[in-house]
Amino acid sequence: MSATLTDNPNVTAAAVAAISERYAEPAWLRSEREAAFRAYQNTPFPTERTEEWRYTQLKRFDFSGLELAKEPNDESISERISMRIDDSDAEGVMVHKGNKVVHRQASIKEAGVVFTDLRTALTEHEELVREHLYKVVNATQTKYTALNSALWENGTFVYVPANVEVELPLGAFTTADSGGVGLGRTLIVVDVNARLTFLDEFTSDPFDEHLFFDAATEIVLKDGAKLRYVSLQNWSRNVAHINKLRAHLGRDSRLESVTVSLGGDAARVEVESQLEGPGSESEMLGLYFADEGQHFNQFTLQHHSTERGFSDVLFKGAVRDASSSTYSGMIVVDPGAQKTDAYQTNRNLLLDEESEVVSIPQLEIAANDVKCSHGSTTGPVPEDQRFYLMSRGLTPEVAEHLLVTGFLYEVMSRVTLPKVAEYVERVVQAKLGVPGVKEKL
Amino acid sequence: MSDVNELHPDAAKLEGMRHTEQYDFKLAEDYFFKSERGLSRRVIEQISYYKGEPQWMLDFRLRAFEIAEKKGRPKWGPNLDDLNFDEIFFYVRPTEQQQTAGSWDDIPEEVRRTYERLGVPQAEQRALAGVGAQYESEMVYHKLKEEWEKLGVIFLDTDTGLKEHPEIFREHFATVVPPEDNYFAAVNSAVWSGGSFVYVPEGVHVDVPLQAYFLLNAQNIGQFERTLIIGAPGSKFHYIEGCTAPAYTTNSFHSGVIEIVCQEGSDVRYSTIQNWSHNVYNLVTQRAIVEKDASMGWLDGNLGSKVTMKYPSTYLVGERAHGEILSIAFATDGQHQDAGAKVIHAAPHTTSSVVSKSISKTGGRSSYRGLVQIHEGATGARSNVECDALLLDETARTDTFPYIEINEKTAHVGHEATVSKLDDEQIFYLMTRGLGEEEAMALIVRGFLDPVAKELPLEYAVELNRLIELEMEGSVG
Repeated sequence: MSATLTDNPNVTAAAVAAISERYAEPAWLRSEREAAFRAYQNTPFPTERTEEWRYTQLKRFDFSGLELAKEPNDESISERISMRIDDSDAEGVMVHKGNKVVHRQASIKEAGVVFTDLRTALTEHEELVREHLYKVVNATQTKYTALNSALWENGTFVYVPANVEVELPLGAFTTADSGGVGLGRTLIVVDVNARLTFLDEFTSDPFDEHLFFDAATEIVLKDGAKLRYVSLQNWSRNVAHINKLRAHLGRDSRLESVTVSLGGDAARVEVESQLEGPGSESEMLGLYFADEGQHFNQFTLQHHSTERGFSDVLFKGAVRDASSSTYSGMIVVDPGAQKTDAYQTNRNLLLDEESEVVSIPQLEIAANDVKCSHGSTTGPVPEDQRFYLMSRGLTPEVAEHLLVTGFLYEVMSRVTLPKVAEYVERVVQAKLGVPGVKEKL
Repeated sequence: MSDVNELHPDAAKLEGMRHTEQYDFKLAEDYFFKSERGLSRRVIEQISYYKGEPQWMLDFRLRAFEIAEKKGRPKWGPNLDDLNFDEIFFYVRPTEQQQTAGSWDDIPEEVRRTYERLGVPQAEQRALAGVGAQYESEMVYHKLKEEWEKLGVIFLDTDTGLKEHPEIFREHFATVVPPEDNYFAAVNSAVWSGGSFVYVPEGVHVDVPLQAYFLLNAQNIGQFERTLIIGAPGSKFHYIEGCTAPAYTTNSFHSGVIEIVCQEGSDVRYSTIQNWSHNVYNLVTQRAIVEKDASMGWLDGNLGSKVTMKYPSTYLVGERAHGEILSIAFATDGQHQDAGAKVIHAAPHTTSSVVSKSISKTGGRSSYRGLVQIHEGATGARSNVECDALLLDETARTDTFPYIEINEKTAHVGHEATVSKLDDEQIFYLMTRGLGEEEAMALIVRGFLDPVAKELPLEYAVELNRLIELEMEGSVG
């Protein structure tokens, strides 16, 4: 795969200024955007020789010939989206389509909770946004976080005040009906001892043009805060998706995240937890299933910069039909981050000859009073288990369906949104070709 | 411990001996020829001239030099900023004579005495089939016992191998590690000198090990041995390498290339425990090609050196070929042991196992860097990797960088790693049984290494344990 990525002529200082102009943005945000654009210009595109991109099929993330995000062709929400909203366990929802918010419904009982789009938040809660925006995901990280930081137009903002527990889940759906460069941004701030469950879902009906979607998810957990966060990507197959999903964890806070990759042509997710407060905990689950030539890249980072942190990564995936997946995980324990417990597990099922799996579980440990381990396995569906099921009268196909679903179930069973877990299971079954499932999606 | 020591030829010497007494020697620098400092075309031509080589070898060297210039140093891995080629003597020829000696009596007395202190001639008498001894850039001694010579075993220094067995040599030389492979292999290819040339004929089992011992003495020297080992079909043998150098404050540089060909059904083991002084950059390429039904075992111990980069690799190219890599690293006092393993499964039903154990203390850093690759068509391949790291204090650090690439549906691949510290409860328990704290720690460390140590020939296991004890001295307080 020899390819060099080239820049997009539409990504210019003028395009950045035009956004600030259109929305009459405050001066601080203008200068943040300008700085982000300079960082974007100064950051080279990744090449095959860039370590973090070594196993990424770069060409599939090319956006050089695409126009920047525009208004959706049609502002109504499709049957697919309404079905997903009804079926998502979420109480408050918001739907982003192109650069527009096309639907919102919320009946949040708890006082002081802000659940709105980033545009509205900038006018109604400017100080809150200013305090947290760009603090976790910003232009210094990658070419793509710089692109997003310079050019995002809208996104989702959630703020849960101190000591408030939001009982029912909130959710944002991102969809599209036209191609180009799409940019999404989510900023979630859970204040001291507050609690929230949030679903971020990316989904679309197939459309003709190619969409390159660059998402940034910033999560701030203050001391004692708890967040359950599910990121579910099931784009139609004409989409390439990149998402940096990063959290800063305060003292004794807890994050339970699940990142699911099912759709799109190619997807790259970078899931990162920075454990800044003593006693913070991060559970990071991942599930992926690549079929029909899909290409998925998963990255995890568990960065322990202080003592008594706990982190646990479990990423499980399957590949079939000449598809490929890579998992690359890193545990970093800084000097002085004593009493750290950090675990990392990656398990893969390789279901046919033409597919490829790469697994790179890594550790960088600079403190000694720690418990760290990682494990990785890759193999076919176990022959003895298949044999057993067939001896009970199941056909080879049904036995394989059951075993693959069972393998992935370990992650699905830990998704705390039951309807979302069921939906993921149905998508997995459809990919496996289980009869009668596709119609229900 | 004591009864094990009695079996060791040097038991009496090891007992109670300080590290410095045995390994810290400095001999007068009295050489026949010492190249100018730095790596240049002129130095390469001089090396080839003094060796009286065929033209093809000079051409090979010069081509490798061009490749090295083009490649440049690797941009990953440990910091090599302090390794300045312009300060290094790339070739130092101790004596004028062309032939390596076949008797210890023909070796300059001081050099011989150093080898005696290391116990090499004594071990030769008791436990080895053949011994080679390299001093600076050249092999000074090489001898194979007659009984093995009669069976057709060849055990020579590599330069003599090139002269006396040009056909076998040319057939295999640089086929396992071509100069294009990596920067340091290219540098070695340009300036190589010495090393062992081993050929064990079809069906011959050499049941005692062959050993080579590498000694560096001069300051700022570079040693670039090139070892070529060929196991003919059905052969079986064990090759052992040891190395040491005096401690200078300036840097020295060791960059060997080891090429091993395991032909059908052969069984080859290669063991090395490097104990270079802490001023040596040890950047080595070791690789074996393993054919049908053959088996290759690496044992790689890294205790010495300032920086080591060494990833023994095994290419399983024939059906049912098997590869095994055992790796031990001990990093103290700012040492960086960047060791690991590479296994390529390119044929059906190939199997491999990697076990890596590392210990870090007082600012030492040990890294495991590995690659397991399963090619499409390597049906039923199996590979398992296990890495355990032990951290002895809060300034120690460890990394694990395993790469796993799988293109075959029927392959089973597993990788596991753990990082832990010395368990206070275990130390406390041992101390209640009467052991001192230092002894208790050393015992736990030895237990941690045991799965690897028990694979070693007895003499080596004893020496390893002794070295660990020496490294552990002063760990308490």
